Amino acid sequence: MLASVLEGGIRAGTPILYATLGEVIAERAGVVNLGVEGAILVGACAGFITTAQTQSPLLGIAAAALAGGVASLVHAFMVVTVRANQIASGLALMFLCLGVTSFVGRPYVAVKINAVAPLAVPGLSDLPVVGRLLFSHDVLVYGAYLLAPLIWLILFYTKWGLALRAVGERQAVAFASGLPTAVVQYAAVVCGGVLAGVAGAHLSLAYARSWVEGMSNGRGFIAVALVIFATWHPLRAVLGAVIFGAVFALQLQIQARGVALSPYFLDMTPYLLTLFGLLLLARTQRHTMPEGLKEVFEGLK
Amino acid sequence: MRRTARALALIGGVFGLLLAGDTAAQAPAKKFIVGFVYVGPKDDYGYNYEHDRGRKAVEAKLGSVEVLTAENIPETAEAERVMEQMIQKGAKLLFPTSYGYLDPAINVGKRHPDVVLMHAGGFKHSANVGTYWGYIYNPMYLAGLAAGKVTKTNTIGFVAAHPIPQTLQNINALTYGARSVNPKIQTRVIYTGEWCNPGKAAEAANALIDLGADVLSQHQDCPRPVVETAAKRNVFSVGYHSADLQKFNAKGWITGAAWNWGPLYVRIVQDVVEGKADRWVNTHTRGGLESGYVALAPFGTAVPRAVQEAVLARRKEIVDGKYVVFQGPMKDNKGTVLLKEGEKPSFDFIEKMSWYTEGVVGDVPR
Amino acid sequence: MARLARLADSRLLIPVRLLGLTALAFVAVGVFLLLFGKNPLAAYRAIFAGAFGSTYGLSEVVVRAIPLMLCAAATAIPARIGLLNVGGEGQLHAGAMAATWGALTLGFLPRAALLPGLVALGLLGGAAAALVPAVLRWAAGVNETISTLLLNYVIVLLVEYVVRGPWKDPMSYNWPFTPEFSDSARLGLYWGTRIHAGLWFALVAIALFYFVLRRTRWGYEVRVIGDNPEAAVRAGIPLGRYILLTMCAGGALAGLAGMAEVCAIQSRLRPGISTGFGYTGFLVSWLALHHPLGIVAMAVLLGVLSVGGDQVQISLGLPYATVNIIMALIFFVVLGSRFRAARTA
Repeated sequence: MLASVLEGGIRAGTPILYATLGEVIAERAGVVNLGVEGAILVGACAGFITTAQTQSPLLGIAAAALAGGVASLVHAFMVVTVRANQIASGLALMFLCLGVTSFVGRPYVAVKINAVAPLAVPGLSDLPVVGRLLFSHDVLVYGAYLLAPLIWLILFYTKWGLALRAVGERQAVAFASGLPTAVVQYAAVVCGGVLAGVAGAHLSLAYARSWVEGMSNGRGFIAVALVIFATWHPLRAVLGAVIFGAVFALQLQIQARGVALSPYFLDMTPYLLTLFGLLLLARTQRHTMPEGLKEVFEGLK
Repeated sequence: MRRTARALALIGGVFGLLLAGDTAAQAPAKKFIVGFVYVGPKDDYGYNYEHDRGRKAVEAKLGSVEVLTAENIPETAEAERVMEQMIQKGAKLLFPTSYGYLDPAINVGKRHPDVVLMHAGGFKHSANVGTYWGYIYNPMYLAGLAAGKVTKTNTIGFVAAHPIPQTLQNINALTYGARSVNPKIQTRVIYTGEWCNPGKAAEAANALIDLGADVLSQHQDCPRPVVETAAKRNVFSVGYHSADLQKFNAKGWITGAAWNWGPLYVRIVQDVVEGKADRWVNTHTRGGLESGYVALAPFGTAVPRAVQEAVLARRKEIVDGKYVVFQGPMKDNKGTVLLKEGEKPSFDFIEKMSWYTEGVVGDVPR
Repeated sequence: MARLARLADSRLLIPVRLLGLTALAFVAVGVFLLLFGKNPLAAYRAIFAGAFGSTYGLSEVVVRAIPLMLCAAATAIPARIGLLNVGGEGQLHAGAMAATWGALTLGFLPRAALLPGLVALGLLGGAAAALVPAVLRWAAGVNETISTLLLNYVIVLLVEYVVRGPWKDPMSYNWPFTPEFSDSARLGLYWGTRIHAGLWFALVAIALFYFVLRRTRWGYEVRVIGDNPEAAVRAGIPLGRYILLTMCAGGALAGLAGMAEVCAIQSRLRPGISTGFGYTGFLVSWLALHHPLGIVAMAVLLGVLSVGGDQVQISLGLPYATVNIIMALIFFVVLGSRFRAARTA
């Protein structure tokens, strides 16, 4: 049972991982984007519509990424150029995306698509336990778990990553040293949106293979919380996403085995775990949080 | 200063346009107006899709009738507002199609004694409110007969939403039918707790397949994610709500239980238009296969000829009244005898079902 | 000319400018609708007809505005000291649960005794739900936006659990809701509509909010913290106390909204008693710039949109989501304007 829970965890955790990784990038540059929930929806919707029209899941994923990026561009504009409150703007984006996708996606709820199929990795997929666990998923899942170390490398070992982090830590200093802070922040937020869009694509093209309005069901907010839980570190985000996905899968698996635990209590555990993690790591987080975020998160202190 | 003036001009303009438009946009209704209220989207390929198919039949057959629809209306007192708004627009017959609309419907009925409300599946009625339902567990039983012969792992997986009597009827009928041709069958059930949450339903389907199920069925308002997951993982599907689900798992489609509301809706609307609403209000209208409210979906290629014929033979027996689904002997999954040999189930036995039959693993959640 | 320019920026014209921005949002949505081949004027006419075309519609606007006002206050009060409470949804459900407990266990009491008790329970439930993030913020610096957001999910799940478990109606055949409340637990409805006593709760709460903010020492200190937290701390104002007080006051009001919904509209506890009142209330508060009087106006506006949204669906076949788009755009437009700088009242 552990194996299938883990497998379910990897599967269910994938959209959360994409969204979390995207948000890590944005927050490392000093911008909190609560509109990730909206970007996921936009990606899911755009990806589904595109795949429905073109019968190509690849085009769908591309469209989803694009849509997520465009949606987040609005947030970037509000935050970087207009200097509006980040939290409020993010929530506004979420509402807008919810409304637009419900509207635009309506004619497509009934459509059948050529969905993303599981992709076997030659050789690796046939390994005894690990094969089924890690290598029987679709290409988007593989992508997520390859992306995490890639982002980690870029963030901490390249000059672009350094520039990004500099803007997030001390924007004024970064600006003074010649970095185009506004461009960096725009890029970071849009990047985050692109990844959130891919998360949505996974939801509608690979996971549920359909489109229903509001189908992200709070995954975007979970991603934002996970970023804090993972102390803004891409590799720890993987752990968080898998844990979340695993609890989600566990609740259903336990039921099927006839265990009489309330599914609603089980459903609560990821959120409570995150809250608990936030509390425990509060001290550490304050040290590891990009300084630029302090103003956003702590407002009055 | 200029900005303020511009703003004022804009507001004035907008209001002017609004008022200038013809206020008599709602011309006096000469047509008979019927309203349909759905709990989910019309295109869910499931519950609401089928009610809407019924609505389309009404529009196709009765040209003199105007139809209003509202979808995604939650099953709370908010539904009252939507029904009231339809009545405001002149609706004289309403179809609140979801179970949770029962109390709102009765309340609205009290306020508008001249309006007829036909509720799907309720257990209360009043002077101008009637209920109707099809015993869809009948075709589910038939589907079980086919599933029992087609399965290789002898495990059925069922993705349910809430442990209400209608769902239990389906689970039990499917299992009972399957076991009658294959006593080794076991059924595992997962409740998602929501009528439509695609991610959860897909995950539940995956979990059931991981546990060995190679036949998936469901009682979800949007059954599609489960059927799609079955297709993705190469297992069989028994459809529910709509026969149109077949195309999502053509290879693994066994059959399914489907609604056929069209003829019933046309009859109800015609009667109410002609002033014969008494036939339908203040009573519970129920029907099984013989009534035509429910139907067995077409078979898929996975089902051998012989099995198809056996199922159709039993179907004929049910329609002719020679066989009643759930007729005894019936035991629950703890061994308690519920019905003796040949005993027929009563109305309450069906409508208040709260147990699992033999072969279903686990307990009904309390 | 300069004097006129200054006048234009004055506080008096703010509602006018807000209206103008709202109109701008309507125009933007109109363009959006046109792109999809729909007639925006017909849509707007449907919205206004739905809300204003009948006394029923008008009454429903009020019914919808009640929880919106209370949940907006839940956001506005902590916002005055810079805290972002997005937990209105959870706090509403917590108040509803507390009131449900009271109605189910004490339902035998006469109305005069029971109703005030239920009001108190609603307030307490909401305050308790807000206390947790408040303490977390005060003691450990945990950001309240995230903690309230997470708690929303936890509390709503708790409601799902209780209506299926300990409080389930034994006569409901496993449908998830509690038994119906006894008559003495129900708030009265007025004038043949669904308007209920919650209206007085909301108006009194808003009035109190205004009064306390402008005319008491507490309100003064809150405003000082909001304007300049460092100066406030240096002046000896107890920041921690106000974090707890404002969050709990806000939460209590949201809880009251929950109590009103279950006792007046739903007459029992079930999933879905709130269609996002907490989040919409957050929007209302922001649109009103956290000003008590603005909250009333904005709650009515959003009530109009909500009620009109159904009509848009029924009459034109457009999805209800159309009004969500309008709401979000108004929000964006207001956020983007220069209003954020001007702190009113």
